[in-house]
Amino acid sequence: MKRNLYIGLVFSALIVALGVGSTVLEKRAAVEAAGVQAPRFEVDPMWPKPLPNHWLLGMTIGVSVDAQDHIWIIHRGGSLERMENYLAANPPASECCMAAPPVLEFDEEGNLIGHWGGPGQGYDWPASNHGITVDYKGNVWIGGNGRTAAVAPPTQAAALNESQPGSGPFNDNMVLKFTQDGKFLMQIGHPGQSKGSNDLENLKGPAKMFVDKDANELYVADGYGNHRVIVFDADTGKAKRYWGAYGHKPDDTSLGPYNPDAPPAPQFRNPVHCAEIANDGLLYVCDRVNDRIQVFKKDGTFVKETIIAKRTLGDGSVWDIAFSKDPQQKYIFLADGSNEKVYIILRDTLEILTSFGDGGRQPGEFYAVHSIATDSKGNIFTTETYRGQRVQKFVYKGMAPVTKKDQGVLWPKKAS
Amino acid sequence: MKSPASDSSSAACSKSRRHLWISIFIAALVFLLPHALLAHDIPNDVTVQAFVKPEGPKLHLLLRVPLNAMRDTEFPERGAGYLDLARVDASLREAAMVWIADAIEIDEDDIRLPNPQILEVRASFPSDKSFASYEDAYAHVTGPRLSNDVQVYWNQVMLDVLFEYPIHSDRSRFSIHPGLARLGLQVITALRFLPPDGVVRAFEFVGDPGLVRLDPQWYQAALNFVKLGFFHILDGTDHLLFLFCLVIPFRSLRKLIPVITAFTVAHSITLIASAYNLAPDFLWFPPLIETLIAMSIVYMALENIVGGIGVQRRWMITFGFGLVHGFGFSFALRQTMQFAGSHLLTSLLSFNIGVELGQLLVLVLLIPLLHAFFRYAVAERMGTIILSALVAHTGWHWMLDRGARLAQFRFAWPALTAAMLAAAMHWLMAMLIVVALMWYVAKRWPLKFPLGQGPSHDPLATSATQFHSVQQGLETETGGEI
Repeated sequence: MKRNLYIGLVFSALIVALGVGSTVLEKRAAVEAAGVQAPRFEVDPMWPKPLPNHWLLGMTIGVSVDAQDHIWIIHRGGSLERMENYLAANPPASECCMAAPPVLEFDEEGNLIGHWGGPGQGYDWPASNHGITVDYKGNVWIGGNGRTAAVAPPTQAAALNESQPGSGPFNDNMVLKFTQDGKFLMQIGHPGQSKGSNDLENLKGPAKMFVDKDANELYVADGYGNHRVIVFDADTGKAKRYWGAYGHKPDDTSLGPYNPDAPPAPQFRNPVHCAEIANDGLLYVCDRVNDRIQVFKKDGTFVKETIIAKRTLGDGSVWDIAFSKDPQQKYIFLADGSNEKVYIILRDTLEILTSFGDGGRQPGEFYAVHSIATDSKGNIFTTETYRGQRVQKFVYKGMAPVTKKDQGVLWPKKAS
Repeated sequence: MKSPASDSSSAACSKSRRHLWISIFIAALVFLLPHALLAHDIPNDVTVQAFVKPEGPKLHLLLRVPLNAMRDTEFPERGAGYLDLARVDASLREAAMVWIADAIEIDEDDIRLPNPQILEVRASFPSDKSFASYEDAYAHVTGPRLSNDVQVYWNQVMLDVLFEYPIHSDRSRFSIHPGLARLGLQVITALRFLPPDGVVRAFEFVGDPGLVRLDPQWYQAALNFVKLGFFHILDGTDHLLFLFCLVIPFRSLRKLIPVITAFTVAHSITLIASAYNLAPDFLWFPPLIETLIAMSIVYMALENIVGGIGVQRRWMITFGFGLVHGFGFSFALRQTMQFAGSHLLTSLLSFNIGVELGQLLVLVLLIPLLHAFFRYAVAERMGTIILSALVAHTGWHWMLDRGARLAQFRFAWPALTAAMLAAAMHWLMAMLIVVALMWYVAKRWPLKFPLGQGPSHDPLATSATQFHSVQQGLETETGGEI
């Protein structure tokens, strides 16, 4: 009897101790949660599903998510190695493989549901595809950064240098507009015609596009050869306004290589790599090699800037951005293809909260993470150029307190 | 007067001209048809957004459907295929009637409502966000149209339509049969029901879900979930194979009762826990469970082959595997919990009852079959080995396939946060309370099972001892061997 009493007491004591302990910890967790929080992600190694027809992706240099949560990517079939293209040889040299068509559309489950692209009648397909954007009307915009020498299939050396796909002057001086079925609608600019950063008719290696639905205006990050953001009427293609860094008139004078210890450059360096408008009307521009985001009003008035990973040399740190899908777009996700990570940034203050990813070829790792987009459920999609050559999905897993500045690779976690 | 020759030559001439026209027509068909078909392909996936709102003597059904899903309707175009917005209303109304209104049935207290009236139609940009709430969507569909000069490609537009049905009361019980599956290869309907009491209920169907009760009575929900559970177990080959393994050595309902009960209790625990969001939501969790289910089959089959299994041992192992299968059931149930209305627990229990009924049916069929098999075809021991080996083989392949899928995930330990520790302590507390209760029950009613060995002095061993007593009792009653 006494023994039973003891056992009962031990049970009660343990339960009370655990109760008290968990209450204390919950309070602490509440304090932690009230601190800095950021969206949490987990890589989905099963996305997308294997491509049909022995198709391969080359440098995957653009991603966009449309209103139906279909994921659109564009890649460069020409960047594949000879052995990767054996099936396309005449006669086929082996059972595998060949380049997939340039534009691929996936559904949310990762099934390939559409594909098109390549040269055609009435338009100049880029020698080196670059950037894809599905606009608010569902139209698909494509840029390019090919140089004259890149009209021929790129060499191995050229393929290894994403910002210089050829060796001559930039030839892809246009953006193209298509329907989702791949029907050609419009071209702005013409190959080899650019007269520089103050030319209203042509672009020069346009990197990324965004269409503002309020004014039906196309914003182009222009680009690999020019040093500006330029705005067009999205229906007529007529240029409306443009500007360079800090809202200055753009100037093509060479700035020399980036020096992290020098004062911030008065002009964008090449490439001007993204131009994205948030719901509140602010325009965010990726000044890639200057390692900075510059923020503008739609009329080109400079608002603010922030420097990301200042010591990054070479290709720079600010490759592409996407906004979180809450109506306030509280967070910016920034793809840094040099340091191989995605930063989660508070849009309001441009403060880096945390980052994830690392260099490598396993799921959740990156090699030259080039483009980034979010869907309506908050999931992130990234594409990789150079020899990365893939698209990855990071599933949104809710908000979590920030415990690490650098989360590393987001491999799925064990149950807590 | 024309000569017969000239008649015949003119007839021949008109005939050859007719042939020419027919040939041109056929050639045109051949060339144009693929393009026409291309333009009107069945879309891969279509998402329909819908609101159902009874209000006074009217019920409003507000829908958004992509226009490319309306395949046989011709929409007026201009320029490079842009929708001619000035002339589009009549086609939108026709499409709304043919593709939507005719395909949807709404019942008020099980009586079908008459055809609705179209109050408004609008063409909208695909990126329009107004269908996030009923108020915004209603304001949008009754608000200004897109300007006539907007260039928007015809098959990238959304059709928004507001239907109105006459009803007797907004407090009636409504059901809807959204027969929209023909809109695309995969059609997802996201529907929100807004009854007058203000509690919005969200549904999401894939394809044609049949008649959906938007606000079911408890018995309607229960019946629905009994059916779901019943057909789920009959449909789930892996659960059936597991059950088959359980049955092979014990071909008597009486002996199987403790085993099946353990399975049922265990899967109910994890199923209900999952429904209340207590299961991990990691991406690797479903593949892990699927792999474990395959392992459970392999294990049971191997145990049968090795032989010498007692009911008590099988009861305990089945309990463990039952926990795993419960998670498996929960994945199947995830999409259907929306049909529970406000009767979540009733529906969960009903699902379990359905699963039980399904299992009983399988047992009732299997037991005599196995008896006959062992009596007339193969000797019992050999038969057990052969059947179990076949099952083990299937289970083994499933295990490898599912294991390969699971292996694509890499694991890392999570950071030790206060929230995680607190959650772990809660689970520990719950487990301690269960153990304490079991201990108390065992102490309080030690003589409930007269055939047992009596209460043990080891309190934690008592419940197991009691079970052993039950099992011995069963053996005595049935005279069977273990």
